[in-house]
Formats: sequence, C-alpha cells, structure tokens
Amino acid sequence: MLLLNLILILLVGGAIAWWSERLGTHWPRLVAVFVVLVDLLYLLNYLAGIPIEQLSVVPAASDPSSWLLAYQLDWIPRFGISFHLAMDGLSLVLVLLTLVLGVISIISSWNEKNDRQGFFQANILWTLAGVIGVFLAMDLFLFFLFWEVMLVPMYLLIAIWGHEGKAYASMKFFIFTQFSGLLMLLAILALAILHHSATGVYSFSYFDLLSTPVENGMAHWLMLGFFIAFVVKLPGFPFHTWLPDAHTQAPTAGSVILAGILLKTGAYGLIRFTVPLFPEAALDFAPIAMFLGIAGVIYGAVLAFSQTDFKRLVAYSSVSHMGFVLLGVFAWNSLALQGAVMQMVAHGFSTAALFMIAGALQQRLHTRDMREMGGLWHHMPRMGAVALFFALASLGMPGVGNFVAEFLVLLGLFAVNPWMTAAAALGLITAAVYSLIMMQRAFYGKPKADLVVADFGWLEMNAMAIMIIALIWLGLYPQPVLDMVQPVLDSLFSVVSSNSITVGAQ
Amino acid sequence: METGIQALLAPLVVSIVALILMMQIAFKRHAIVSWLLGCTGFILAILALKPMADIVPKMVTPLLLSDQYSLFFSALILFSGLITTLLAKDYLQNRRGENEEFYLLLLLSSLGAMILVSATHVASFLLGMELLGVALYALIAYPERGQLPLEAAIKYLILSGAASAILLFGFALIYAVLGTLSFVGIGQALTQPILEDQQLLILLGTAMVFTGIGFKLSLVPFHMWTPDVYQGAPVPVTGFLATVSKGAIFAALLRLFIDAELYQYQGLMLSLSVLAIASMLAGNLLALKQDNLKRILAYSSIAHIGYLFITLIVYGVLQQPGLAVEAATFYLSAYIITSLAAFSLLSIISSNISETDLDDISHIQGLFWRQPMLALMLTIALLSLAGIPLTVGFIGKFYIFTAGIEGSLWVLLAALIIGSGISIYYYLRIVFQMTMKEPAGGSGAANMDPNSVRLSVLSKFVVWLLIFMMLYLGVLPQTLMEYLGGLSL
Amino acid sequence: MEGLIIPLNHVLIVAALLFATGLAGLMFRRNVIFILMSLEVMLNSAGLAFVAAGAAWAQADGQVIFMLILAVAAAEVSVGLGLVLQVQKRFKTLDMDHAQKLNG
Repeated sequence: MLLLNLILILLVGGAIAWWSERLGTHWPRLVAVFVVLVDLLYLLNYLAGIPIEQLSVVPAASDPSSWLLAYQLDWIPRFGISFHLAMDGLSLVLVLLTLVLGVISIISSWNEKNDRQGFFQANILWTLAGVIGVFLAMDLFLFFLFWEVMLVPMYLLIAIWGHEGKAYASMKFFIFTQFSGLLMLLAILALAILHHSATGVYSFSYFDLLSTPVENGMAHWLMLGFFIAFVVKLPGFPFHTWLPDAHTQAPTAGSVILAGILLKTGAYGLIRFTVPLFPEAALDFAPIAMFLGIAGVIYGAVLAFSQTDFKRLVAYSSVSHMGFVLLGVFAWNSLALQGAVMQMVAHGFSTAALFMIAGALQQRLHTRDMREMGGLWHHMPRMGAVALFFALASLGMPGVGNFVAEFLVLLGLFAVNPWMTAAAALGLITAAVYSLIMMQRAFYGKPKADLVVADFGWLEMNAMAIMIIALIWLGLYPQPVLDMVQPVLDSLFSVVSSNSITVGAQ
Repeated sequence: METGIQALLAPLVVSIVALILMMQIAFKRHAIVSWLLGCTGFILAILALKPMADIVPKMVTPLLLSDQYSLFFSALILFSGLITTLLAKDYLQNRRGENEEFYLLLLLSSLGAMILVSATHVASFLLGMELLGVALYALIAYPERGQLPLEAAIKYLILSGAASAILLFGFALIYAVLGTLSFVGIGQALTQPILEDQQLLILLGTAMVFTGIGFKLSLVPFHMWTPDVYQGAPVPVTGFLATVSKGAIFAALLRLFIDAELYQYQGLMLSLSVLAIASMLAGNLLALKQDNLKRILAYSSIAHIGYLFITLIVYGVLQQPGLAVEAATFYLSAYIITSLAAFSLLSIISSNISETDLDDISHIQGLFWRQPMLALMLTIALLSLAGIPLTVGFIGKFYIFTAGIEGSLWVLLAALIIGSGISIYYYLRIVFQMTMKEPAGGSGAANMDPNSVRLSVLSKFVVWLLIFMMLYLGVLPQTLMEYLGGLSL
Repeated sequence: MEGLIIPLNHVLIVAALLFATGLAGLMFRRNVIFILMSLEVMLNSAGLAFVAAGAAWAQADGQVIFMLILAVAAAEVSVGLGLVLQVQKRFKTLDMDHAQKLNG
C-alpha cells in the first residue's frame, strides 16, 4: 500500500497543484514542493521503522515476499496482468534520488516566469510519479505502461515551456523513446507468449518470466528489444542524438528531471531486466554493448569539448558519463555494477546542479552561448564557486561521488577487459578538458563592466548545498549506498548464474 | 415467428421510428421534434437489444443471424448513431436549411449497418451495405452551401458504387462455381474438391470481393477517395462514416472471412499481407504532409485498417481463431470509440460558425490556452489513436501485437512498429499546435472570439462520456476482454 | 427450371466484357451523367452473371439477387441524379474536371 501511495500522492498532488493556480501564481510551486516533501517524508518515515539488517538481507529474486515492500492487486486476469509493485534496495536508492531531485527541480524553476504555473508543476509531479512507477513495477505490462506514460508530461514540459527549438526537440524526444518503446513492447509480449506456450497461462510477472526458458536465437532478438529501448533512454551511442536537443530546449526543471532521473530509468532497466531475463544472450552481446559504452564515453566527451552552448555541453557530458553505466552493467561483476549504480546517483546530482546553473545563467543573461559570457565569477562569486565544485565533480575529482563511481567501474572492467579499461580511462582525461574549458569560458576571464546580475539567492544556495553534501558524502563514505544495493546485486547475480546454467544445459 | 421478431427487435424499432420520422417531416417540419424522434429511435433500439440477448443465437430466415457478435456490433453502431445525433443538434443549429432529414438518414444508415453485421448471405450483405451507403451519400452532401460536400458526395457515390459492382461480380463468379450464396454454404462447398479452372474462377471472385471491400474500408491501393470524402463531408458525418460505416463493413467482412473459410487461401493471405503493410506505411507517411485535420484523420484511418488486417492474417496463419477474433473486435471497438471522440471534438469546435468546418490545423492553434478542457480531451483522443497507455487505443494495439506474435508475423509487426512510430509525428503535431501561443491578430483561430466555443450541456455530456469510456477501457479493460473473448462466430 | 442452354462460361465472358466496358466508361468519361450510366452497366453486368449462374444451377437465387441489384442500382442512381441536379445548379457544369476543389 505504501508503494501505491507514493505514486498516488504525486498524481493527486499534481492535480491539486494545477487547480491551485486559481489561488495565485505562486501557489502551484508551493503545493508542488509540499507534495514532493510529503512523499519523501512518508517514505523516510517508513524506512526509519525498519531495522538496518533487513536492508542487507539478500532478497530472493523470484520471491517478492522477501523484498522490502511489495504490493499486488489483480488487474487484467485475462492476460495474467497484475498491478504489482515491489521495492528492494536498488529501487529504494533510485526512488530516494527521484524525490530529492524532484524537490530540487521545483526549486530550480522558482524564479522563472513561466505561464501556466499550475499545469507546469502538475506535469513535473506526474513525470515524477511515472518515474517512480518505472522503478517499482514488477509486472512487465505495468512497467511498460509507466515507461510510456511518463513521456507524455515530459513531452508537454518541453513542448510548452521549452526554448526556441522546442518543436523539433520535443518531437524528436518523443519519437525516439516511443519507437524504441514499441520494440520493447514487442519483446515483452513475445516473452509472455513464450511463457504461455510453455506453461499454458498468460503472465507478465517479472518473477514468472525470469524462469521462462527462451531458446537462444529468440533470446538474442528479445534481449535486443529491451536493450535498444533502455539504451535510447540511457542514452548510449549511437541512439543519443535526441538528448542534446531535448536537454538544451527543455526548461530548467525539465532538464534537471530529464538528466537527473529519466536517464536513470534506462540504466535501471538494463540492470533489472535486460541481463537477468536473457543472461546468455546478454553475455554474448556484452562486447558490443561495452564497445558502445566506450564509444559513448569518448564521443560524448569530444563533442562536449566542442560546444559553445552551455546546456549542450552539459548534455554531451551526460552521454559520456552514462557510457560508464553501460560499461559497468555489461562488465557484470560486483565492482563494476556497484560503480554503475553509484554513477547513476552521483551523475544525477552533479548534472542536475550543472543544468540548474545553466538555467540560472540563461535567466540572467538571456543566452546560453558561452562566447558571450566570461568573467562571471566577478559578478556572481557564489555561483562561480558552486559551478567550480560541480565541474570538478564532473571531471571525477577524488573525494566526490563521481570519482568513486567511475573508479569502481574501471576497476571492475579491468578484470574483464584491460584494453577497454584503458580506452575508457581516456574519457576521464577528456572530461577534465571540457569541464575546465566550461569554467574558463563562462566564469573566468575579463569581466564585462556594464553587467548587473544577481548572484544565487539563499534558496538556490540551499538546493546546491544539498547536492554538494550528497556528492561529498557519496565520495567519502559511499558504504551505506553500496550496502543497500549490494544484496540486490547479489540476488541478480544468482538469478543470472542459475539461468545461464539451465539454458546451457538444454 | 414471434421469436423471429424478437430476434430482430432493434432493426425493427429503427425502421419503425424512421417511418414515423418520415411522416412527421411530411406533415410538419420541426427540427427539435425530428431530433427528439431520432434520439428516441436510437435509445429504444439500444433498449431493444436486451430482449434480443435472451434468445440469441437465432437464425431469422437464411439471410440474417442474430448472435452475440451481431448484437455487440449493433450496440456499437447504435451508440455511434446516438452520439452523432446528439452532436448534430449543436452542429446544425447554426447552419441554414432544413435539417430534419439529417436524422432520418442517420437512422436509415444505421439500420443498413445493423443488417450488415447480421448478414450471413450475399443478399442481406448487399442490402445492408447499400442501405448504409445510399443514406451516407445524402448525408455527405447534406450542407446546402459550399462546394466540397457535394463534390465529396459524388466522388464517394461513384467509387462506392463501383466497389459494390466489383464485389457483386466477384460473388457472381463464386456463385457460378459453387451454386450457393450463403456464407456457410460457400465454406462447405469449398471443402469439396474443385476443378483446376474453376478454382481459378473462385480465386478471381474472391479477389474481386476483397477489392470491393478494400475500397469501402480504404485499404491501400484503394484508398484515394478517403481523404477527399473525409474532408468534404460535414464533421459529424465524417465521424459517422469513420466509425459506423467502416466498423460495420469490417465486422461483416470478418464474418464472411470465417464462415466462408476464406482464410485457407494462402495466396489471398499473402496479398492481404502486402496490402496491410502498404496501408500501414502509406497511410502514415501520407498523413505527415497534411494540414487539414480531417485529412490527417483520414490517412490515419487507412493505417488503422492496415493494423486491423493483421488479425485476419493471423487467422490465416493459425487456421483457427487464436486471439485473432478477440483482437479484431477489441481493436475495432477501441478505434470506434476513439474516432468518435476525436470527431465529436472537431464537431464541437466547428459548431459556432455557419459555413464551413474549422478543420485546418491552424484553426486549433492555442486551443490549450483558450479551452484547456477541450484541448486536453482532444489530446487524450489523439494519444489513444497513437496507442499510448492508459487509453483504450493502447489495449487495442496490445491485442494486435499479441495476436501478431502468436502468428509469428514479424514482417507485419515491423511495419506496425514503423507505422506507429511515424504516426506519433502527426498526432503530436496537432497537440503541439494546440499548445502554441496564439498568433497576434493573425488568421485562423484568431478570427474566432476566444470564448466563442461554447459547449452546450449536451456536447459536454457527449464528450465527457466518450473520454470516460476511452480511459475506463484503457485502465480496466478486463470486462470487455472477457465479453469479446466469449464471442463466437 | 430449365437450366442454361448455352454454356455458362460464354455468358460469364459477355458479362465480363460488359463489366469492363462499364469500368472503362467510369474511368475515362468526365461527364457525371455518363459516369452514372457506366456504373449502371457495371452493376447490371454483375446481375447478368448472377442470372446466368442461377439458371445453370437451376436455382431461383440468381434471379432474386438480380432483382435486388435492380433495386439497389435504382437507389444509387436516383441519389446520384439528385446530386447531379445540385451540381448543375451550383456549378453550371457536369464536367467532373471542373469540380476539383478537393486535391486528392
């Protein structure tokens, strides 16, 4: 029930936020922040009540009752579809990330003068609801439903409140994800039908489908269906082209949600579905996937380096960083996976912060072009210092979460393929180049004399402080997060190894 | 005989009310009375389905069969007819001319559609189809002003007439070889050994029958009339044409296809696959360039017919229903409800002016800010057409996918995915247009007073009902699934 | 019923020729009246095929269908002629090429 409420609070909250527009223009954002905070506290309140040991129990992947929380309701028995939500350590980390970044994204648009505040905030809350649904759904039909539905409010955010090229960007975003989503739907249904022909009953339950035997040739195609959908969202090379457009054109809050949370659904899908459902096929495919990961790391970094648009630079840096996640998942060992999850969280914070800075700059200077900036540190020392911190985080400075993440991925990858590790490490060097170039162009240099701009206010500084503290905490003491995630990863390992044995025996 | 009457109660009610309406018009013209009579006819007929359900299946003469299947589609037809009648009141009241016959024609056309879905014989098939068609010609040409409706009506009349002739000639060839005109009889005769050259005649005949039906369903390459007729007809009629006419003809085709066991011809299945793929791709591609909402919906209907044909091919591959019939009926219901909603909304938008329809994409620019509710509802309808979850359109697409996978029709599914991917573009283009700021004093929507689209209580009720159905069946489809799963042909 | 004296195929060929004539007229004529006439020819060729086939099988069904086709054709054409009158009244022409506002 708690899991259902998590989603319902956001859905209903969105409707209330929309309605509250009638009370005054500042009401919707107050309501929105309040709703997300309530949701967050509701979850934390529950977490405070459970003993810490329970988190470290390895949940049986095939038995939802061993999970932290589960909720199941018959929905469409005709096809064995149920409304099935469940939470384990991995989903918990991601849901917490979603809610925290949700608050930050609403704060990030606090001072922007957007029309239709009510509908704007409603769309943000509905997107969050969809993302949380994706992280919790344990029925593949339900998962697909959330996966698609979260697109609609996101599309509206970009299409209505976006910048000059919003028509093209929003359309591209929707078509890319929808098209790849249909491939995933095809794979889900094919898997369900295979299950039906093997057992005589329809089921879309993750737990049933995990044990469905799929013959090898078919498994490759189905795996590819899932893989493409998730890699488009991740985004991995060469399916990333929607991302720079969508990120650049989205309003600040939209960019924060898109980069901070939405991309993580792709990574989550890879870890939760692609590999465990088709272990053999995924293993065969791993070299190609890792190659795509490296291509993403380097390609994203090189393109980030050549951007003049602040937001585009950050967007391409996302492509580069998410390449590490792809590497970590397909290296499929404990260290690399830990790194991948860590990267999801750390990248969520660092990129969200950078997009907030980009949004703040655009709001103050009415441009995103770094050639027209320069010397901003002089005018906005607080913003400059914060930007410096996140630029350093993004380039992987030790002591920050991003460093831990990328280091773990490389460490895990080294055991699998040293050459790829060397290539991926190149990405770290280029990251240093583009991050510092960004600082150089925007904040250093000669200040423009006649410029009068406001520095970050206390609200923005508080939001930034949350993210800075989170990143440093992840960098210096990552153990709690790793502890929370490790049992889940262990259980996924056991699923994969047992499945590949059964497949191999056939 | 008494049960015979009971088994045909709904069509009889419609016929009687149509006669009364005709008398009323002959004695004294009165728009509201005619409208009320029209509504009464549809409501009574819907109520008459209840006693019919008690005695089905029941064969009435060798021509008509009342069964669950025909009842379900009769209900859909009557519902669409009722919705069209309800909307027509607002639409027609600002338009000049004598509008009483509009409701009479709607009743007659629905009657034809009901006969069509119960038809088990070439004779009843012919009569139903023609009654449906002839009344539609007049409906399309109904507006007194403007060139487009008349042109569309003539175009539709000629092509639909030619399609009927082709279809009949095909049936004649089949009859010449098999000596029977009932669908089941054809199916039985086909199981007997047939001479080589006679086999050829049968194939030719079947091909002609499918060509004729393909014309009426606007399957590529027989689709050319569709955008013109959709654009030319007044909006409520376009909605009626897209739902009742297409739906009834497809339902009848499904019965013919199964009763006459046409699915055993692999050559036919192959050519249907080609036509289905062509429809899915061409329909969606051609829709991209259109700026007229009715034309966009026309091309999208071509694509949707292509999706629907996948179910027939699944049947052909499996040689048994599998999920095919359930998928076809669900998808058709979903499509009818969704199209009805889309056209109802367009009709409401056009209700306030007296000449043409507001059907250009620029007319709805900024609708989100002028009429948020209307725009949101149109968005939901478009998302349902695009097959986005939480709407009934998604469950329909889910069915087509599942049936297609069951038949391992990977090429067709690829075309379906590509087609759906393309279709997103033009549906979202409409949504985007609605979210744009209004042009300052420009053309199109700016000419309309921002508050001029007034929704009468009636229109409000109709669109809310349709939107509710679309979302309800999209979220909780179990009941309808069970019902359709129980339909047997 | 006597059955059919001449071979069925001959009649079917004649019917097919009539059908083709009608179809050609439908496609190449521009005047609405002629198009409607061609339509009539097509429908009646189907009727001829039905009558012949019915006779060959010594059944009444073919002739019944022919009666229905007659009625249907009459209905089609009467609505068609109604539309033609409107066309003449509004456009002062019966040439379909002059009525091409719908770009198809």
